[in-house]
Amino acid sequence: MISKTAIDHLAEKLGRDNVLHEKEDLLTLGYDSTPGVHHLPEVVVYPTTTEQLIAAMEIAEREGLPLTPRGSGTGLSGGSVPVKGGMVLCLTRMNRILEIDEENLTATAEAGVVTLDLFNAVAAKGLFYPPDPGSQKISTLGGNVAENAGGLRGLKYGVTRDYVMALKGVLADRGLIATGGKSVKDVAGYGFKDLLVGSEGTLGIVTEITVKLIPPPQDKRTILAYFNDTRTAGEAVSRIIAAKIIPSTMEIMDRATINCVEDYVKIGLPRQMAALLLIEVDGHPAPVAEEAEGVRRILEQVKAAEIHVARDAAQAASLAAARRTALSALARVSPTTLLEDATVPRSRLAETFDEIERLTEKYRLKVGTFGHAGDGNLHPTVLCDERDHDEMERAHAFYNELYGQVLAWGGTVSGEHGIGLAKKEYLARQIGPGGVQVMKRIKQTFDPQGILNPGKIFDEGDPCTQAHVEEGFRVSH
Amino acid sequence: MSPTEPLGNFKVEDAPHYDDVLQCMRCGFCLPTCPTYALTGRERSSPRGRVALARAVAEKKLEFTPTIKEEAFFCLDCRACTSACPSGVRAGEVMEVCRSQAHAFYPLGKMGKAFREFILRKMVPSPELLETSMLPTRLYQRLGIQWLVRHLKVLKLGPEWMQKAEGMLPRLEKPLRPQLPEVVAARGEKRGRVGFFLGCVMTLMYPNVSRNTVRVLSHQGFDVVTPKDTKCCGAPHLSEGDRETARQLALFNLDLFLAQDVDYIVTDCAGCGAALKEYEELLEERAEHDKLARFRAKIRDISEFLAEVGLRTEGLREVRASVTYHEPCHLCHAQGISAQPRQIIRQIPGVELREMAEASWCCGSAATWGLKYAEDSRKVLDRKLDNARATGVDILVTANPGCHLQLAWGVREAGLSQEVLHLMELLGRALPPD
Repeated sequence: MISKTAIDHLAEKLGRDNVLHEKEDLLTLGYDSTPGVHHLPEVVVYPTTTEQLIAAMEIAEREGLPLTPRGSGTGLSGGSVPVKGGMVLCLTRMNRILEIDEENLTATAEAGVVTLDLFNAVAAKGLFYPPDPGSQKISTLGGNVAENAGGLRGLKYGVTRDYVMALKGVLADRGLIATGGKSVKDVAGYGFKDLLVGSEGTLGIVTEITVKLIPPPQDKRTILAYFNDTRTAGEAVSRIIAAKIIPSTMEIMDRATINCVEDYVKIGLPRQMAALLLIEVDGHPAPVAEEAEGVRRILEQVKAAEIHVARDAAQAASLAAARRTALSALARVSPTTLLEDATVPRSRLAETFDEIERLTEKYRLKVGTFGHAGDGNLHPTVLCDERDHDEMERAHAFYNELYGQVLAWGGTVSGEHGIGLAKKEYLARQIGPGGVQVMKRIKQTFDPQGILNPGKIFDEGDPCTQAHVEEGFRVSH
Repeated sequence: MSPTEPLGNFKVEDAPHYDDVLQCMRCGFCLPTCPTYALTGRERSSPRGRVALARAVAEKKLEFTPTIKEEAFFCLDCRACTSACPSGVRAGEVMEVCRSQAHAFYPLGKMGKAFREFILRKMVPSPELLETSMLPTRLYQRLGIQWLVRHLKVLKLGPEWMQKAEGMLPRLEKPLRPQLPEVVAARGEKRGRVGFFLGCVMTLMYPNVSRNTVRVLSHQGFDVVTPKDTKCCGAPHLSEGDRETARQLALFNLDLFLAQDVDYIVTDCAGCGAALKEYEELLEERAEHDKLARFRAKIRDISEFLAEVGLRTEGLREVRASVTYHEPCHLCHAQGISAQPRQIIRQIPGVELREMAEASWCCGSAATWGLKYAEDSRKVLDRKLDNARATGVDILVTANPGCHLQLAWGVREAGLSQEVLHLMELLGRALPPD
């Protein structure tokens, strides 16, 4: 238990409103968007400056509390769940956009800035920040950096890491780190910046982020194609890529997903179709027209059931918005929504769909699949009920077998959600004991006491990590 | 069928359904739409947080603590989160049920209970008592005492909510209910016969709005039946957590309106409309399903109704004005009616509609919330007024008396020149003289 004195001390340094320790607050700050993982911290602080952050970390050290950084809590692998209790460092009140540098095409913002707010702020100056995770309306940049978040535009524009130019942060010993800069080229020494991106808050607490901006595409064409079977949709994706066309977005939804999304958005998606592809090509008008034509030709060749071109920007935007709701909309169907993040080389897409279908039948489950088809990044989502023990077992067996195949094809266990709590064992399978050892050594160098976001990415051989996870249910087994 | 086993640490009566709280997958899509989360940045004051608290009570991880009571009432019940939730979680309704739980767990003291019962169980259900009770207020305004009070700032001494309540009162006319004939005949080619649900606040505070609604309906070719016995729709009771009185009122109105020979039941109050549309769920175990379904099928908000039957624009006069539209939460979020009011506005000759930013963001009125949390309400209102001001229009249009009171007060306090009108008043200006 944290002492009353420590609470008072925190309040003195950070202000009363920035220190929460009532049970109701702790309960609501011990989860993110990952099903089944939940743990109460002992105290939650909202620093508004780096000095306050350091002050809080100092008090935490005195009290022997581990630290878990948190943004808006929309993560999908349990990265911000304080699985060992302690102190949650909520960075949402460090939310100033510090600079938009139009000469160097960069923006610098504090970690708590909401992704979409940054997008809008730079768009107002005629610039473009492409990474757009599904939760961009509320996710924070700090969280995006911690998990190396992707999004719908990943195919052409890349993910968060591709845009991070510089980071500032605080290390476990409360030393400050500043890495990278506004220089386009920078090969000086180890790439700490790249190491920190995607490190899930286990190596340091990122407080300030400088990102690269690019000019926005001048033109865009949105195409919607429907398919009678998912395999054909997968084939279309592989053929489009093979034709050397890189759309900005190539998203897939299967029938279950189409129906759930349509229940919510009501924009007339075809409920009877087995799959749909939402494809966007963007750039300068001439190549855009050419690529759109190329995409259409391929869709015709593979015999897509229907091909539509969005009437206008508003319709295109409503389609993209609809796709963003896919995961949450699937949650309509059942009390528990288990989501995975399997990613395969794109040539394997059609086979992956076949495998998902086969395993769905084998384990008698209800599965909705959607995802960033163009990236080979699929989100097969098991719609189940955590109260049904047998069903949960089958769900875990389903993922287990699927990941076995995904790894055999040279895929990865996480395309964009991170490892966190949910996928530690899968990671170990992917990178092997040697890989885990190296990661642990890096962790040891940055954080010898193990106080930064303990229990994430790999197991420290501490059975506690598992006992804290909500009864009877784990995501990754 | 009523459950006999309590759900976790809830009381048996009027507890949330476990499935309803389990439905939340915590994606956080609701967070950017929640006015109280915007105010506090505190997770427990967000829809996701509130549902998590209810779930914790249901799973016996938490008692029904005073903090949960506080959150149940701090929720504006604006339903913006319901609109934003792809999973179909209705956090506002869960909180409404928790309000009722709050009264079971923390009964008011004797005085408080007597006062609450007097207001909710005696005054509000009786149209006559309500009308009589407004008489002193009208006298207060007519005799010039209001002018004195407002200018001498006597009320600055009182609690803030009293001062605000006083400041919000529009100039009161005679209540509409006793004046309105039970049947007003259609004009021009007759298109049908509708029942008009005249809400309490409308008859007492905005008789001119509802007078215009009836004029519009008649001009559009509908006989308008306004049953004199109509009682309060029950919305204030749901909002205050008195679900039992709400059910009794609902049962009364259900029978009253089903006995009328009308094709539709129309209201010009978004709050009433939302409540009437929820009778089906509220009375689930208390009335026949078929009766409830028939009633539900007839309920329309006035703008929803006009858009559905088609506004007859022949003979409408030009109204030269630029307007912006503030969406009442209980219209856009609770009833999903967003396009129809705009469609009607655009059909009025001479009117130019300029959209404001965040048109569907709450104005901070939210029944008695605006009085209980006067300071927070002020902040929510300021955000709304900034957006309204930026449009530079002549008229701020809305469609609900709660918003109307709040916006008119805000505009007056801020010294803005904009006029605040109900959509029916605006449309009323386009009607030829009677």
